[in-house]
Amino acid sequence: MAAQPSPNRDVPGTSNAASGAAPLLQLTDLQMYFPVTSGVLISRHVGDVRAVDGVSLSIQKGETVGLVGESGCGKSTVGRTILRLYRPTGGRIVFQGQDITTAEGSTLRSVRRRMQMIFQDPYASLNPRMTAAGIVSEPLEIHGVGTGRERRQRVRELLATVGLDPDYGDRFPHEFSGGQRQRIGVARALALHPDLIVADEPISALDVSIQAQIINLLERLQGEFGLTYLFIAHDLSVVRHISDRIAVMYLGRLVETATSRELYERPLHPYSVALLSAVPIPDPTIEGRRRRIILTGDVPSPSNPPPGCHFHTRCWLRARLGNPERCVEEQPALREMASGHAVACHFAEEVEGSPEQVLQISGESSGGSVTATAATAATPPAPPAPTQGSLPAGPSAPQRPVPRPRERS
Amino acid sequence: MHLLSIIDLVVRFRTHDGTVYAVNGVSLDLDEGEKLGLVGESGCGKSVTNLAVMQLLPKPAGKIEGGQVVFQGQDLLSLDESEMRELRGKEIAMIFQDPMTSLNPVLTIEEQMVETIRAHRRVSKSEARARTLELLNTVGIPQPEARLRNFPHQFSGGMRQRVMIAMALALEPKLLIADEPTTALDVTIQAQVLDLLQRLAAEQGTALILITHDLGVVAGMTKRVNVMYAGFVVESASTPDLFARPRHPYTVGLLHSMPRLDAQPGEPLIPIEGVPPDLRRAPVGCPFAPRCAWRVEKCWTAMPPLDPIDATQEIVTTGPNATHRIACWNPVTPEEAVAARPLRAGFAPAAHPTETVS
Ligand SMILES: Nc1ncnc2c1ncn2[C@@H]1O[C@H](COP(=O)(O)OP(=O)(O)O)[C@@H](O)[C@H]1O
Ligand SMILES: Nc1ncnc2c1ncn2[C@@H]1O[C@H](COP(=O)(O)OP(=O)(O)O)[C@@H](O)[C@H]1O
Ligand code: SF4
Ligand SMILES: [Mg+2]
Ligand SMILES: [Mg+2]
Repeated sequence: MAAQPSPNRDVPGTSNAASGAAPLLQLTDLQMYFPVTSGVLISRHVGDVRAVDGVSLSIQKGETVGLVGESGCGKSTVGRTILRLYRPTGGRIVFQGQDITTAEGSTLRSVRRRMQMIFQDPYASLNPRMTAAGIVSEPLEIHGVGTGRERRQRVRELLATVGLDPDYGDRFPHEFSGGQRQRIGVARALALHPDLIVADEPISALDVSIQAQIINLLERLQGEFGLTYLFIAHDLSVVRHISDRIAVMYLGRLVETATSRELYERPLHPYSVALLSAVPIPDPTIEGRRRRIILTGDVPSPSNPPPGCHFHTRCWLRARLGNPERCVEEQPALREMASGHAVACHFAEEVEGSPEQVLQISGESSGGSVTATAATAATPPAPPAPTQGSLPAGPSAPQRPVPRPRERS
Repeated sequence: MHLLSIIDLVVRFRTHDGTVYAVNGVSLDLDEGEKLGLVGESGCGKSVTNLAVMQLLPKPAGKIEGGQVVFQGQDLLSLDESEMRELRGKEIAMIFQDPMTSLNPVLTIEEQMVETIRAHRRVSKSEARARTLELLNTVGIPQPEARLRNFPHQFSGGMRQRVMIAMALALEPKLLIADEPTTALDVTIQAQVLDLLQRLAAEQGTALILITHDLGVVAGMTKRVNVMYAGFVVESASTPDLFARPRHPYTVGLLHSMPRLDAQPGEPLIPIEGVPPDLRRAPVGCPFAPRCAWRVEKCWTAMPPLDPIDATQEIVTTGPNATHRIACWNPVTPEEAVAARPLRAGFAPAAHPTETVS
């Protein structure tokens, strides 16, 4: 499959290829820069936080797409921009066939009826001075739906739908537990029969035993109401569980999109492999044998992202390949490597992702330290360096006898 | 003799809206160099147990109302504040989820590390500084020389936690208590920090109590686990044993309610119904009873003791052969642990006793 010449186009593999129907939501090269200014009296524009830097993604009706990546990668900004809480600085958002990139006024209001958001923090996102019924009823009132009586009836239905006692409607948020508060947030999001729900880390603030309750609730509601979800989270095991497809984000860009099964069975971007490899698994036998790929350092600042491939400063694959210049010089396009599986890495052919590689459960005997040390995992002894900048990409790239991460310990 | 023994610890908070029954008779032993996980949901008493060991309970509300804490043969509860201060850092160190709570925001990293070292060791300023530099290097702070002059807020979350680890291990303590050290971090940074902790604890032979709500972290980092619920230890076993043969309904519930990365596609989650208990009520019966699918009549009225699964077994409290113990009147069978529900014909959980409390 030929690489796209530029990432600034509709990209194959960023949508559910199996379905020919028009997507519910289509993002094309979406860009959201926040200006950085300095100066007290006269503020000068001195740069941008490139929170979202060219994201193309489409979501089919009824699907759940997971968006993962480390914090600060721009996941919430993607969600908030889709809901048009921001006006994008570039690119296009098409929702149900309608270009809403710059929509305003009544058009925007009608769009917002059809899209809702569920937030991470059920403590901060509910008005503490309103009752549960008032909170759930508010969107109905804002949009003038039904009579007072009808609204009260609808609120009772909604509370029951999310598993709350309708008689608790007159209680205030602080009288509910965290999980119950999140249910109130879900009921409010459902009030206007939305088509798309952006759930931004909806379970991250909840107790472990409560998280599964909310995940199961969201899954049930999707079946009942034909909802479409963009599910944002940093926990890959949760995202894998709930999503049909997963988009992996790094510093404002998508680096890989695949079905959740594919992403787990054959991750092709070195960042995805590292993310999967970092997730602890509640099994001491597996953990005891794992040799983790440990990324060095933190995510760089989105106001000054590294050139070329944003990931190159932390990339274990690039290090293994002898630090080719191409990663620094050229932004890798998101290219389709298999049907519905796209990846933005010049050297994705070298990844050979597999559950074995990610879990590192094959080959080695258990015992010893759980992980490779940060130093050895991230900066392995460089193989004989090929001439810089001359590495051909693609399946024809010569096989180098370089050690795989699992062979290091 | 064990390095640390907590014996029947009871901690309560007297607040204006009543008593909080935070820790209700916790016992545990820890040997030198051992790695113990304390796992359970928020509010189950993990932090309070360890703050009691360190005698850092918030005053005046938090009080140790019973039990003993014996460290290297010494009864810690009989020590005065200056003796405790001597012990903290030097013998027992603690790191927290939010390093900012234990770093001084107005001192540079150099100032506070040098101060910590010199408070316990007779070394010159320049020796302490050299040690500081060495420690920052060990924990993987890039350009440590330049970073010495930085303030805590100038570090990222992961780097701050590394600084905390450097400070905690500066005096080569016998015991390190790590309270949710990676809960606020991304998985990638968590992997870095856990790797570091693992390596340094192994090098120095430090015993570790790792507090977390993440069973995955426990699986990778510890050799023994205590599962806590509502201020009680409800299951205690070697780590391999606990994951292979969980026997307490709460542990089984936790294991089935979190999605696993290596799960079969489509594998359903089985949540624990209900909510964690309100610790402002004095515990009556088994605290898990209201949420438990295995409960029998007795569970409503009597708290089960933490007993060996095999009653004939002699109890070993530490090491890889620690006795598997649970506090449950109706233990989960191995088949039920897989199914996450009772499988006995005709069994139904005992009904709530006729509501007498409102
Ligand atoms: N309203 C805003 N103004 C300026 N910068 C912002 C704003 N919102 C987010 N950012 C910045 O954009 C980047 C991406 O943030 P966010 O979308 O919240 O990431 P994530 O949800 O993946 O953690 C971060 O560097 C963040 O500080
Ligand atoms: N300062 C305090 N005042 C009153 N109650 C407290 C205080 N600190 C902790 N508690 C209560 O003690 C119980 C145990 O808390 P803690 O040990 O912090 O739980 P965790 O297992 O999450 O670490 C909780 O119910 C908590 O509300
Ligand atoms: S393009 Fe280069 S730096 Fe980027 S992920 Fe691929 S190998 Fe790593
Ligand atoms: Mg976010
Ligand atoms: Mg705690």
